[in-house]
Amino acid sequence: MGLLTDPSAGQSKIIKILMKYYSKLCIILYLGGIIAFCVLAYRPFNSETYFSENALLPGLVRSEYRDGNTPHTYYRELLDEMEKYESKLPYSWLLAKFKQIGLDTYTHNFTLNYPLGKSQKFTGKNVYGILRAARAASTESVVLSVPYRPPLSIHETTAPAIAIMLAFAKFANKEKYWAKDIIFLVTEHEQLGMQAWLEAYHGISGGKEGTLNAGDMRGRAGAIQAAINLELHSIEIGEIDIKIEGLNGQLPNLDLFNLATRMCAKEGVSHTFKNRIPRRYTDPLKDWKYTFQTMLSMVATQATGIPNGNHGLFYRFGIQALTLEGFANSKDRLGFITIGRILEGTFRSLNNLLERFHQSFFFYLLPSSDRYVSIGLYIPTIAALAATLFIKAYAKWCLLHDEEENKENKDELDKPQTIDETGDHNPITRESFTLKQWEEKLKTDTTQLNQKSKVHLGHICAVFVISHLVGFGLKELPTYFAKIGVQYGYTTESSIYIGLALSTFLIILIPIFVKKPSYSSMIVLDIFALLEMGNLLICIAMYNISLAMFCGVLYIPFALLLSPTRCRLCSIVQKTCWILLHPFVLATITVFTYTFFVFWNELVDQILYKALSATQQAIMFSIVDSMVYGNWLFSVACTIMTSNWICFWYMCQYRPMIEEITKKTETSKQKVD
Amino acid sequence: MAVVFILLCYFQLSLALQYSDKFTEELVLKPLVQDQIYAHFQFTTIWNVDARSRDLFQSHLFSRALSEVIVRHNVQELHISLTAGLWNYETWGYPIVDSAPGAEVWVWFKDDTNDIDTNWKQLTNSLSGLLCASLNQIDNTNSINPDISFAPTGIISNTLNSSFVRYATLPREIVCTENLTPWKKLLPCDSKLGLATLLNAGPIHNTRYHSLSIHLRPICRNAQCDLASIELTQSVDLVYDFTILGTRNWSLRKLFGQGIMNSCPLADTSTIYVETTNNDTNIFHLSPTPDEYLISTRGGFSSQFAKYVVKERPMTIAASYADKQMYTVNIPPPLYANQYKIGYGQQKGGLVTKIYNNHWAPIDVVVLQNLPWYIPIYLHTLKIISNGTPMKPQKLIYKPGKMREKAHSLELMLRLPAKSTTSIKFYFDYVFLKWQEYPPDANHGFYIGSAIISGHLPLGRNYTGIPQDGSTYASSFNASRKNYFVQIRTEPIVITLPTPDFSMPYNVICLACTVVALAFGPLHNITTKRLVLKVNSDNLLTKLKKFGRSLFCSKKL
Repeated sequence: MGLLTDPSAGQSKIIKILMKYYSKLCIILYLGGIIAFCVLAYRPFNSETYFSENALLPGLVRSEYRDGNTPHTYYRELLDEMEKYESKLPYSWLLAKFKQIGLDTYTHNFTLNYPLGKSQKFTGKNVYGILRAARAASTESVVLSVPYRPPLSIHETTAPAIAIMLAFAKFANKEKYWAKDIIFLVTEHEQLGMQAWLEAYHGISGGKEGTLNAGDMRGRAGAIQAAINLELHSIEIGEIDIKIEGLNGQLPNLDLFNLATRMCAKEGVSHTFKNRIPRRYTDPLKDWKYTFQTMLSMVATQATGIPNGNHGLFYRFGIQALTLEGFANSKDRLGFITIGRILEGTFRSLNNLLERFHQSFFFYLLPSSDRYVSIGLYIPTIAALAATLFIKAYAKWCLLHDEEENKENKDELDKPQTIDETGDHNPITRESFTLKQWEEKLKTDTTQLNQKSKVHLGHICAVFVISHLVGFGLKELPTYFAKIGVQYGYTTESSIYIGLALSTFLIILIPIFVKKPSYSSMIVLDIFALLEMGNLLICIAMYNISLAMFCGVLYIPFALLLSPTRCRLCSIVQKTCWILLHPFVLATITVFTYTFFVFWNELVDQILYKALSATQQAIMFSIVDSMVYGNWLFSVACTIMTSNWICFWYMCQYRPMIEEITKKTETSKQKVD
Repeated sequence: MAVVFILLCYFQLSLALQYSDKFTEELVLKPLVQDQIYAHFQFTTIWNVDARSRDLFQSHLFSRALSEVIVRHNVQELHISLTAGLWNYETWGYPIVDSAPGAEVWVWFKDDTNDIDTNWKQLTNSLSGLLCASLNQIDNTNSINPDISFAPTGIISNTLNSSFVRYATLPREIVCTENLTPWKKLLPCDSKLGLATLLNAGPIHNTRYHSLSIHLRPICRNAQCDLASIELTQSVDLVYDFTILGTRNWSLRKLFGQGIMNSCPLADTSTIYVETTNNDTNIFHLSPTPDEYLISTRGGFSSQFAKYVVKERPMTIAASYADKQMYTVNIPPPLYANQYKIGYGQQKGGLVTKIYNNHWAPIDVVVLQNLPWYIPIYLHTLKIISNGTPMKPQKLIYKPGKMREKAHSLELMLRLPAKSTTSIKFYFDYVFLKWQEYPPDANHGFYIGSAIISGHLPLGRNYTGIPQDGSTYASSFNASRKNYFVQIRTEPIVITLPTPDFSMPYNVICLACTVVALAFGPLHNITTKRLVLKVNSDNLLTKLKKFGRSLFCSKKL
């Protein structure tokens, strides 16, 4: 095995074959990767979920919860109480209830200093009660949380969830088998309250320092092992949707998801994933289509990196969590008792845990709630996509290398002839040429010859570094855009949008006028950029496969085809495509098309207005997310994707001379022959 | 700390007794502010024998098993507690005996002990056998010798030298019936007669908190203190929850599964006290009527007790509440604390100890942090913040630990400002352990023991402890002193050190071997061989040589 030896690998047979067929290979890998990814949803290619953690003992105990009246009483009381507070948490009522049940009760205050534009402050209050386990010294705990939604909220109510939570707390406090404390938490302001509570609990700041002031809290209950976020929209539940996608595309341990599905199944509640019931068709194509749609729906949510529920914020702290969202439907009408029994079963299983969740999968895709695709299966597909970039980069490098070598060879061959020629014309001068003079002449001649094809490594590195500095700048600038915009009376979102649009325009414009040294330098830069993109995809795939897949499918074909060309039409086409792929332009286009599809029946100018404001808000929210929650989508888009984009953009601006192109084609032809 | 403790003895011992030892048993029942009731059993044996003598084997009521251990290992004072659950200081006030969750042992050795570390190791092993607890896991790697936190509670004859004290805690220890049974065997009447019959494994483990403890110390025999005795206190602390019991109307039968059948004939006194101080808010009626009512005024706060004397006939006590439950406002005790971990991930973490002083005057406390060797702390990150302002400790004693050899200990002497919350924060690293050092269920996490806050309270509110000069609970009645010593334990912490996936080694070995095998060959070739141009000489001599060599080799093979 010539693993480490063979420095002249460029000459080996495999490499020659690779050089010959690399473009075809790239196409095969690209298409193969995409197809393989799609096929993963097909039943024979994925596997059925199973419990890896033995200690969970799911559903082994007989449910004892059978109190339907208490939650109804709580529910009615809460509805009365909610009328008094239109936009605030009825915390005095909640505190009183928690105290009556016998829990250690605490409140937690937090402040959000709005990071953009004018300095604004928002405050909120969370309420929580801790059930102290009889069998442990408050070293570990599990969380049951409900986001409180006031009557004025745009989201559906969660009052039934609070009622059943209180009833379950009352039930659980009577039991002596608890070995982990249970924290019953009611948060305010959706994810903000949850983030603040978690930050205060762990004494850290997840986003930008000073943005979310989480404050301090009195009561704690050790290390949190797991969390269930409960959202019930009706007192009679038809189906329960299990949500798992978290911040930055993180997912909970598959065992916890399995536990939730098993508990729902045990109590006879139809459970869904992405609002789709696990279904089985006899027709393989139909079956694949159904599961693929479910998987694609998960991929779409995961790729955004925005949690689709309060559970998504727990993952950063190593806490496994999920949301159970209950909807009413016309088919089934299951009351509080069933939900109480699901909670009882889930928490007793979690109570059984000896160790933290560490078995089973943390990285997976779900084509259905009872089947999973493991990381071992999906990584090869994204690796195939990324491989095209590496192959292309390698091929370009080899071509460049061969070109230089050929040229050297050619020079060596040419020189004696010229000497002979000069000798024929003027034999005296030939004799008078000393060896030293010859050497000098050779040096000057070769430098002149190579001037055009020389690789200006310093220049390339400068371009590479500057483009990344620009990316970093772009990440930091929006705060200043907002500040300046506010002074001139613009809204925060429009000033950020205009600022970013202007910077994008400059980013597109400036590389056109910067000097480009030589064709081979551009090729080297291209290689750098391809390698960077390949690495980026692999790195993202380790964390968030969906985002990596999305980027890969979109960027790879254009990144592969992009190269300096003399053909004007080709040049224009590839440049336009590449502009459309600029992250900022891409975001704008995506939101615009989405708006067109949603409001297709409205007037064009109205749609345009709506689309523009939606884009502005989308960008502003992604910035706010990165500052409050530590979502890195905006940071990655700025610092790496845009920087990488600039490198490609700069490279394709070069208009090569005819000799350079012909030389290249000649050499490649020679190689093939 | 060169202070000689001379303690006054208030009790008069009747010298007419045939035996020189005396046994008393007491049960205190105290309804707590919320839905709980606190039960404290105390069995005290006082043996009038010189604690320094080596002949402690002729005992009458004193447990021979224990006396052998203390003689053999030269123990002066011994304190053991085995606890499940956490005492909730904020709502329950102070317990009569403080103890940390899990197992806790601290010992003063006599000042003529030569090799303390060996004795300590051997002692914990003996105690492990005596109590069926994992105390044998205690050795120098998890023990500390604090300078100021643990002063002797009994009398001492020489100057204090803190090198004779050892403290260790095992927060992971699970306390169960297997500890209760051997513990009961140390009692004179075992569990056959007297109050000990109430200690039935089933009911007493249905509590929110239960703690077994053994305290042994030398005390003064008389007021002049010219003679010394040995005092052995065995106590059980239980906190029952009415929500778990299902009713607020408690009785001995409901709490302990049975009533008292007979008193222990070996006991001098056998008494039950029921605290009735709060009987005006949540009124309960006791039956049978108590033998007498006692009022104890202590540190400006008076409390009322109903006293029952256990006689040689079956008895039970029942309380029935008259009205619906009243929710009273909980007034937290003057001093309490808790401890928690901050940070996330498996690289760096922080530990915060928060101490609350609700008193109107400053309180001096000593905080002891006992950290295992695998938690190397950064002392420069130590920050003490009281009500938002940084504070300097009056004294800081840091004894750094050593990897795999010695635990870290940090003692801080603080003056807590009046009405303040003080937080002590420092950061530490999560270290990688060797793979054999992970315990079973490695992903469960690693424990950091409780922090211990010792202080003298200027007032007697919520205080229930026994004065240092007393031996029985009865001695705490009307025992007003200048101040009241408390030693608070916080909750232990579980942290997750970077834990390898223990199912992986096989896969890793396979992968690593393959990679090494693939890489080794070429690497070996490159480093050892050199490409040399060899001239092909075809003369006869070399050909012959080659032929001969090949023959020789083939033969050898």
